[in-house]
Amino acid sequence: MRAIVVLGRVLDPAGIVVNRRAGRIFVNREEYILPPADRCALEAAMRIKDATGCEVIALPRALFPDDDVLRQALAIGADRAIYLSGRGPDCADDAFMASVLAAAIRQLGGADLVLTGATTLDTGWTQLGPRLAEILDWPQILDAWQVEVQDSMTVVQAVVPADGGYALAEADLPALVTIAAGALKLRYPNGVRLINVYRGIGAVAEALERWEWQTLLEERPTPVLERRGQEFPPERERGVRVSGSAAEMARAVAGALRQRLGR
Amino acid sequence: MDISYLDLLMAQQEEFAAEVGGGGGVWVVADVVDGALAPVTLEALGLARTLADSLGAYVYGVLLGEGITALAQTLYQAGADGVRVADDPLLGRFALEPYLKVLSDLFEQERPEVVIFGATPQGSALAPRLAQRTGGGLIERITRASLDEATRTVVGAVPIYGGEYFELLACPAARPQFLTITPGAFPAPFMDTRRRGEPSSLPVEPVTPRVRLLGVAEGFAPPPLPLKRAPLIVAAGRQAGDFESVRALASVLGAQVAGDRGAYDAGWIGREQVVDVRGTTVAPQVYIAVGIQGDTFHNAAIEEARYIVAIHPDPEAPIFEVADLCVEAQPAQFLPELLEALKSGKT
Repeated sequence: MRAIVVLGRVLDPAGIVVNRRAGRIFVNREEYILPPADRCALEAAMRIKDATGCEVIALPRALFPDDDVLRQALAIGADRAIYLSGRGPDCADDAFMASVLAAAIRQLGGADLVLTGATTLDTGWTQLGPRLAEILDWPQILDAWQVEVQDSMTVVQAVVPADGGYALAEADLPALVTIAAGALKLRYPNGVRLINVYRGIGAVAEALERWEWQTLLEERPTPVLERRGQEFPPERERGVRVSGSAAEMARAVAGALRQRLGR
Repeated sequence: MDISYLDLLMAQQEEFAAEVGGGGGVWVVADVVDGALAPVTLEALGLARTLADSLGAYVYGVLLGEGITALAQTLYQAGADGVRVADDPLLGRFALEPYLKVLSDLFEQERPEVVIFGATPQGSALAPRLAQRTGGGLIERITRASLDEATRTVVGAVPIYGGEYFELLACPAARPQFLTITPGAFPAPFMDTRRRGEPSSLPVEPVTPRVRLLGVAEGFAPPPLPLKRAPLIVAAGRQAGDFESVRALASVLGAQVAGDRGAYDAGWIGREQVVDVRGTTVAPQVYIAVGIQGDTFHNAAIEEARYIVAIHPDPEAPIFEVADLCVEAQPAQFLPELLEALKSGKT
């Protein structure tokens, strides 16, 4: 059995400051992190590997300028990692990457399970997983909190939110499962693997392969998204006092909370 | 707006429809929860109406489910010019493949220009697969939208890092343009109770869902979220008065309970729940401080909170200097009113 885990990276929000008045983003510390949902997807893949002994291969969520997330995956315990190199289009969106990833999975000879984070940290978008499942014509289980492959290795079961609680869902393999942020705690990397993968020593370092993404596809997919700029919200207005009777103030606060929470 | 301009807009719409070989238009796929329309569906219709009026296009609503035909009139009242209904026991509970089959057949025939979903579990499951299947673009979780009329392209504002700033994104070359809208971000439309219409039925072919729901996940509880990562916190202070009301407020909002040193000293919370630079610093989307005076250590610990509501009887309390919304009231008297307002849904 083969499980693919698709991992992204995102600029650590703790390292940036947004100046709303100036309409600028100041990057004080340019550090990229593995997004929380992708960390959970990696842990889910490791748990399935522990239970079934399957092969785990890490793929990048985008055409990254470096292979750091893949090295992290190898240090944690992934068997192989494929770095997709080559210059991509300026706006390599999820539609483009879903095509590239599907081609990479075909090049690998297929897979039984694809795991990835349910949402990205910056935009909160969810579309990469379902788009990939559509290309592969696989079933999808979204927002899973626990994933298990049954003994027969033909079925994946997952705990998903349903009707205000949690339900058990299952699909035949091959399938794609996205994992909710906060679902699982990523294990610590193995110290020896960590050192070797970053120093380029031994089998763990050799498990990192480089593929030119252009060689995977006969026809280049075209991104569909176009960036049209940025907008900054108005400066935060603090100290707005609510007045009136207790009931009036309560209605005003309830309205503000509902608007803020989108309920 | 003069009539000749309207004629021009409608001619453009017809031209687009002729080019793509369908009816075009702006479509809204409704979210039905417990037999009623989700509020986000009405918000989507409000946006659709605005876009359609600028595009010179028609608005269509799509309803899928079982026993939902009567809801079509609500869609008409919210601004839909036409409604398509797939009312069938096979669609009684949301399952991806049967819903996808109905919608992809419909959109293949109608070739919409814009399709809007709510950014709900159903919308987030359907929209990307339909976008991929139809070659469309998808902008998710938008909170504002404008129109580039020259190219008939919707430009969506997507909040980054929870709204620190917004990326403006568009799909100028891809049709349909799929959008998912953040619930609560767009105003609900005016409901014109005089508007009525006759919905048309969509064929439903039996398609077996590929994901099977086996029932409630017995014994499963999600891992507790550490306070520092909680998106919503209700915190109590010495002046909170009745801690049970604070708990009740947290329960209604689905928030985590915390407090300042005073609440810890009163025995209401554990050490790990103390919000303080010497304890836990937090960065929630919303932080509600109930009866917290707001000393330097506490206020520094909530610096990263996106929105702070403070309830305190003292108008000079330092918490009011950092709060976005200040309520000068006795928490013991104010909280029951707030709970009532939240439960009743009236604002």
